[in-house]
Amino acid sequence: MELMQWFFMGVLFTLSVVGLAYLSIVVRLEWYTWAGLITGAILVLFGIGWAGASFMEGIAQSGAMGLMLFSGGGVVLMVLTWRYLVAPVLAKRSNS
Amino acid sequence: MSNENNESKAPEEPSGQTAGSDDSSGVTADPLGDPSRRLFFKRAAVGGGAALLGGAGAYGAARLSLQGRPSDDYPMIDEKLFKPKDQRDVVLNFVSSKALNKKHPERNEQYNRLQNKEFNWVRGIIDMYSKPWDNSKPGYTQMDRALQKAGWEPLNIAGSRPAANLQPNTPFHSWDQSDVEKEQYQFKSKKEASDAIKSAARVFGVVKCGIARRDKRWDYDPLYDIENEKELSWAKDFPFEPKTVIVILLPMDYDCIATAPAWTADGTAADGYSQMGVKATQMAKFIKGLGYHAVGAGNDLGSSVPYAIMAGLGEGGRNGALLAPGVGPRVRIAKIYTDFDFVEYDQPHSWGITEFCLSCGKCADACPSDAIPKLEDKNGGYGFQPSYEFSDEPGYTWNNHLGIRKFYSDAKKCYNFWVENGGACSACIASCTFNEPDYWHHWFIMAITPWTPKPLHAAMALSHPAFGYGHTNDPKKAEKFWKSGEGMRTNVDLKNNIGTSNKS
Repeated sequence: MELMQWFFMGVLFTLSVVGLAYLSIVVRLEWYTWAGLITGAILVLFGIGWAGASFMEGIAQSGAMGLMLFSGGGVVLMVLTWRYLVAPVLAKRSNS
Repeated sequence: MSNENNESKAPEEPSGQTAGSDDSSGVTADPLGDPSRRLFFKRAAVGGGAALLGGAGAYGAARLSLQGRPSDDYPMIDEKLFKPKDQRDVVLNFVSSKALNKKHPERNEQYNRLQNKEFNWVRGIIDMYSKPWDNSKPGYTQMDRALQKAGWEPLNIAGSRPAANLQPNTPFHSWDQSDVEKEQYQFKSKKEASDAIKSAARVFGVVKCGIARRDKRWDYDPLYDIENEKELSWAKDFPFEPKTVIVILLPMDYDCIATAPAWTADGTAADGYSQMGVKATQMAKFIKGLGYHAVGAGNDLGSSVPYAIMAGLGEGGRNGALLAPGVGPRVRIAKIYTDFDFVEYDQPHSWGITEFCLSCGKCADACPSDAIPKLEDKNGGYGFQPSYEFSDEPGYTWNNHLGIRKFYSDAKKCYNFWVENGGACSACIASCTFNEPDYWHHWFIMAITPWTPKPLHAAMALSHPAFGYGHTNDPKKAEKFWKSGEGMRTNVDLKNNIGTSNKS
């Protein structure tokens, strides 16, 4: 089961890299914006990996906490970064 | 290429406005329809490569961290307090000897007076396993008692059960050297010898093996033959002059220990004792087969925890046990004394474990007998002598080995609870923050522990139960354990098995 987890994590990780690479050619962003997005993505993946291992070892509470704290924290960070640092740039683009 | 050029000339796109350009607005209108497609692949590759490098770097850093760093500050000894430990002053030895109980009635009297108990040391060890089971009480049923007794059976059959209470020279830990090969095997290098010893240990099912120099500070002196009630001397009675002590760690089952303090947990503890006997005798036979003297030992001959620390296998914890990275205190320790000294000796290492214990205290909270020093004790319970309740009463700390900087527990209260409970406890093992099964996220925490600032340790300790770990005295754990055989989930060799284990 752990091998399957690593496989799915690899797929998710690849999708994240592709998504960020796509974003990098859509819009020019400041370094701290990238830091926010990349940290958020890593946190989301970390939480999923944590939760997978926790569910496999039979401690569902740890899995739930991992998803809530790590993945949830990552999602919040990405949403805030997008809302306040990426979206204004995109809005500026559509207005120009 | 021409296609890319055509796509890049989308009407709404201002020229040169890709993110890779110097345009101030910094946007493109149709990213996949212009030359930036190449840029996209390039960046995906660079991003993936950077992530790969970052991952490899993190793996390397974690690996280095998990190897620990050599520690020069162990042991810290107060020469004014320190003296060799008399085997007769170990609680398990004392309670097994009628002569010693007769000689020191004041120990029992003082304990009962101070703790307000009516406890009989000698009757205790006899009564421990005679408490009736209750099939309506998870963890204390006939099945749990059966597991307990079955765990001890290899020692019983071998006639080595008293070894658990420090009796030396039992069949598993025999002092007989008549089977030492006459020809001595010559290793090409010390490293080759150490590797060979550890390879043999791995074959026999040892989870970790380290090699320490024989150190008289950790040997019981004098030794004591409990069955014949007589003192033994290293110089006159022991069959050779030991130079090396090989230390082996035997694992205990995670789900079984999690049931503590129920009898179920004692099943794996008892099995651990049996494995100490089996593996130590196998290792001793291996060394004797190489032509060198060897005697296996469990709890007898010397104090196991400092020897294990000297062999680089872990650090001393608040609960008085060895905390080994990856398994924490969920191991039993056996030793092999030998005169073979052409080996590469291991040295004490630190993983930040003892320092973490200074801020944690989960074992002390979980201990049903309050035998473990608490965070609020003097110096957090860490020092050269005990600071637990009544430790300033004259003679009360007779069982402690004074003068070594460590956490001092009151093993008398611990033993008292075992007897009342009807089996050994293990709550301090189950609740330990370092007692984790073999999954990557626990290794990750282990790897970052030495690098986390001390104020974070308390938060990490608090989050341990919040994440669902370390709860003790929970009947559901016993019920869970008895279902854990399904799929052999906790067998590390079958961890990735997704179909071939039977479902009941």
